[in-house]
Amino acid sequence: MTALKERPPEIPSDITTWEVELQKVGLLRRILNARRWYGADWWFVTVSAVLVLVFIMIALFPSWFAPFQPATLVGPSFLAPGAYPPVPVLVVPNTSLVNSLKDLASPEGQPRPSISVVQGGNTAGALNDAAQQIDNQIKNEPGGLRLRPIIDRYPTVEEALQAVVDGRNNAAVIESTEYTSITAQYPTLREGQSISGGANTAGGFLLGTNDIGQDVLSRLLWGTRVALLIGFSSSVVALVLGVPLGLLAGFIGGTPDRLMSLLMDSMYAFPGLILAIAITAVLGPSVFNVIVAIAVLYIPTYYRIVRGQTLSVKEEVYVEAARSIGARSREILQRYIFPNVIPSVAIIFSVNVADAILTGAGLSFLGLGLPPTIADWGIDLARGQRFIQNAWWLITFPGLTIMLVVLAFTLMGEGLMEIFNPKLRER
Amino acid sequence: MPDDILFSIRDLTVEYLTRAGSVKAVDDVNLNIRRGEILGLVGESGCGKSTLGKALMRLHTGPAQITAGELWFDGRDLMTLSDQEMPEVRGAEIGMVFQDPMTSLNPLQRILEHLTETIHAHEPEVSNSDARARAEELIERLGIRRERIMDYPHQMSGGMRQRVMISLALALKAKLVIADEPTTSLDVIVEAKFLDLLKELQQEFGLTILLITHNIGVVAEISNRVAVMYAAKMVEVGDVNDVFGQPKHPYTQGLLRSVPNIKLDSGELYKMAGAPPDLTHPPSGCRFHPRCPFVMDICGDEVPPLEPIEEGHLTACWLYSSVVKRPEKMHA
Repeated sequence: MTALKERPPEIPSDITTWEVELQKVGLLRRILNARRWYGADWWFVTVSAVLVLVFIMIALFPSWFAPFQPATLVGPSFLAPGAYPPVPVLVVPNTSLVNSLKDLASPEGQPRPSISVVQGGNTAGALNDAAQQIDNQIKNEPGGLRLRPIIDRYPTVEEALQAVVDGRNNAAVIESTEYTSITAQYPTLREGQSISGGANTAGGFLLGTNDIGQDVLSRLLWGTRVALLIGFSSSVVALVLGVPLGLLAGFIGGTPDRLMSLLMDSMYAFPGLILAIAITAVLGPSVFNVIVAIAVLYIPTYYRIVRGQTLSVKEEVYVEAARSIGARSREILQRYIFPNVIPSVAIIFSVNVADAILTGAGLSFLGLGLPPTIADWGIDLARGQRFIQNAWWLITFPGLTIMLVVLAFTLMGEGLMEIFNPKLRER
Repeated sequence: MPDDILFSIRDLTVEYLTRAGSVKAVDDVNLNIRRGEILGLVGESGCGKSTLGKALMRLHTGPAQITAGELWFDGRDLMTLSDQEMPEVRGAEIGMVFQDPMTSLNPLQRILEHLTETIHAHEPEVSNSDARARAEELIERLGIRRERIMDYPHQMSGGMRQRVMISLALALKAKLVIADEPTTSLDVIVEAKFLDLLKELQQEFGLTILLITHNIGVVAEISNRVAVMYAAKMVEVGDVNDVFGQPKHPYTQGLLRSVPNIKLDSGELYKMAGAPPDLTHPPSGCRFHPRCPFVMDICGDEVPPLEPIEEGHLTACWLYSSVVKRPEKMHA
């Protein structure tokens, strides 16, 4: 209220106090004070802006966040979220000094260590690979140590462990989950490290794995890149084409305006996804073609907004005043109409990005948009759909991510609209 | 064209081409604007005075078109200029001040940008710092502090904005300033200050001002001459003392009697009979004849010419025409 008293006399009465205060502060404070000044829900904007920033970061640097490459087969298929994959661990007698596979190495000429495993499964293969790797590492080091274990196969876990208890083998390699369940029966044995040294799959898979053993989380994170690429570039392309067309049509008016509006309205009348499907079906699957298809879809949105705004702005007195000081048409468009039209375009842009992401995911869900080698949420959804009955996580997480991204962009757009265009609220 | 005439409007007709038919908002108007004068153009709302003002700069777009006439400005006919040449005249030689100062400046441009843009539009060779120096000097002369030049229009009051509009015309030393109801939206104190400023500038810069207004008092206060329009026609032109002292045309007489006056004895204000005509179907002959208290037979049949009846005092009325015999009861 003090601001009201101190109000300088030259401010006309039709400008309210908060509008005056508004001019004195920067963007950040405007957003923070949005609730008081605009009655806008500032936390909508703040939360969604943070989300959008996070998604943009992920899209720019997915390798910082994702544990694995999206296409590599990193684990067993259909591993539920949070579940640990079976890790082969070393089981040794309590008295043994051996803790890891490397400790079993012996000098050349000495007897090779013997290790018991269970027949079937892939522990023997994994053990061979791990031993080979360690052997290659240590054979050139001084000391002449080698690691070439003799692998004895037993039909059951119990027999394999019994062999260690009896001293027939130096150690056993058993899947950790299996060992944990029967560990009480073998008090003289203890669990060593995993044979791979606990490197890649030690942390498990946070969101599980898919049908061919890819990490769902990594695919989601890498998929952000393609989703945002499609969302942003198609919106930018649509903006770059739609805005000038709308400006020119609105400014020139007459027959060119009518023809252009007829064309744009007929495009606008098409159901969006169907038009995009038609375009991608003709062009073939690739990221570029999806961008083109979605861009074409949104050109009319920008065109209609900009044309309408131009029609009203060009009748403003200041445009006439500009002509009265000798401004030419190009200058009027550039310096008077365009800056007054662009705020509404910025708001449309944010909402449009969300819509484009959704359309892009829809296209690849239908198998039309992207080549299947690309990590994309729509593709993951389509693939996971077949396994919906026994692997719920395959479609749940891509679906949630799409929802979250779209929600973040939409909320940010709507919130910005309330902040920059408070008059819209009053209507 | 005599040398003392800056702008000569000859037989100007401006039509609005609408679906309901064409409307002549300015019909066959002749008017001379002399160098260094303030010419007041008065008339009711909708009589075509603003349309005339815009037509002088060929500012019309859309449905409005100049369908006939010549606009002789400083030795050349503006009607013969192409659309590319016309912007060079606008701003540089003729400036305009609009009715509503709240909307006549671009809300997204600083005052400085308005001024430097005007300067650069016509003198691209001027450096930015020179243009800024000129702009600052100019608004200081108009009574706005130098620091305010970085303000946006919404940070200024109506009076200040109107002064900025004037400064746009002065930035390039325009010879003619068309002020279209510049004080309508200002309160009386600001209005008085603005009119004083206008008069000062006119003397200091040798400006010629066409002051379009419906406020008779403003015209009486600062104009040298006055032109009265009625229903798209010019009805009376002359020295401000002559026209307001001894109005000849019955419309002017009625107009002056209907101006509120504190000294007025009778309690009730004079109301002219009838209403302004619909310009899609204007009355035949003299447009004022359906409302004229002195109507004669000829008035409904023939359009009266704008003729001099005294030195420098013209009127378009059959009462004073040499062709027609005056009736006995002229001044009722």
